[in-house]
Amino acid sequence: MGKIEVKICMGTMCYVMGGAELKAAIDSLPQDEQEKIQVSYSPCLGMCNDGGEPPYVQINGRTIARVSTTGLIQILKEELHNAL
Amino acid sequence: MRVNGDFIEVDCFQKNKGDNIVCGDSFVSHKFKEEGRVISVLSDGLGSGIKASVLSTMTSSMLLNFSMMNEDITSAAASIIKTLPRDEVRKISYSTFCLCDIDCFGNTRIAEYENPAYYLFRGGQFVEVEKRRIPVRRDDMGQTAMWLSEFAMEKEDRIIFFSDGVSQSGMGNRHMPFGWEEGAKAFIRECVAQNPSISAKELARRVVIESEKNDGYTLKDDTSCCVIYMRKPRNLLVCTGPPFDEKNDAYLSKLVTEFPGRKIICGGTTANILARETGREITLDMDGLEPDLPPASRMEGIDLITEGILTLSRVESLLSGEGGEGQRRGGPADRILEMLADSDKITFLVGTRINIAHQDPTLPVELEIRRNVVKKIKTLLETKWLKDVDITYL
Repeated sequence: MGKIEVKICMGTMCYVMGGAELKAAIDSLPQDEQEKIQVSYSPCLGMCNDGGEPPYVQINGRTIARVSTTGLIQILKEELHNAL
Repeated sequence: MRVNGDFIEVDCFQKNKGDNIVCGDSFVSHKFKEEGRVISVLSDGLGSGIKASVLSTMTSSMLLNFSMMNEDITSAAASIIKTLPRDEVRKISYSTFCLCDIDCFGNTRIAEYENPAYYLFRGGQFVEVEKRRIPVRRDDMGQTAMWLSEFAMEKEDRIIFFSDGVSQSGMGNRHMPFGWEEGAKAFIRECVAQNPSISAKELARRVVIESEKNDGYTLKDDTSCCVIYMRKPRNLLVCTGPPFDEKNDAYLSKLVTEFPGRKIICGGTTANILARETGREITLDMDGLEPDLPPASRMEGIDLITEGILTLSRVESLLSGEGGEGQRRGGPADRILEMLADSDKITFLVGTRINIAHQDPTLPVELEIRRNVVKKIKTLLETKWLKDVDITYL
């Protein structure tokens, strides 16, 4: 099974709107779950330019808007569950 | 800008006597951009502490103003001596000074009054410059004299002048019973031999730190060293923001790629434009994180990539002194600051497209307009760090 790829946007808007805390949210997951997740960052996913809803995260290539820490954990849990 | 395209770096490093909270030496320098002229003054006030600081600050700022107006140096010195407050114990009003005035052609005029003689370091050795003695009449003490010298500054020349805290450091020690005068020359020669392009800032710092060592790590006098270094400018490009018109993306990329010097990109979108235009990849650098700032990233051919407006605003507040020295953590803003400090000519390439989302009043932090922050940084760099700064808008 491949790892779940999470790409967090580190652009100004995403960072200000809560993107800064998303890494900490992933770090709070149990170790065995963290091992199944591949985290990377993007300087800017370019989604907020036309009045988008930051922060943005891409999970396995799927772009998700307005991600909160709890929301991200929930999505990741679902993805982990689906991957079983 | 100077006639021959050279840059004059001026820097001074100071340390206070013992654990005094103020320095009795004072250094001021002013760069006249339009005239291409640089005037620098170091003054050492009688004694140490606040009293000395008042004397030296008055002397250096008055001399700077008199020189700015091309006032005759002899009458300027006479006015200063008359103006300085009198020391109640010693019954004299006294401070020493060294004034260095360099015009756009490199013609240099140095006036010295009772301070340790300056050094001119050229081609690996110290050059003796002929000095003219000008008597200074004083009522409160015996006649004294000022020394005036004139020469043309050449590329890679360094002028080094300091307060007696340097030349008299270590005085009375077994190794240097008469102080550090000759030792200082050897020390400077060695510093330059080890690093021929050593910056004025670093050389001044090393001389003062060595003086402190001579004094057993507790300075016996206020100690200052100033270095003026004429050299080819070190260029830095700070590119921030996407161009107003998307058609200029390729032009922006060309300007950045062809720039002769070090390069910083501030802004995710700007970095993405460059990555797209040049076909290079960006990787985020998670080392050296700075709290409250997004991390820096890397790209081939670019020295540093950071986030845009938050990082630039932090740079601005650090430059204006709000951040304080103690808060340096090696994060993206600190790295920009370091690169700015190590450059002489800084070009800002500012894309003027505005991200509408940044103007949302409900954002948790205030995001400034890029153009305004860059303008503030320019003013700070020019006035505080004496850098040559240009802004190009795209």
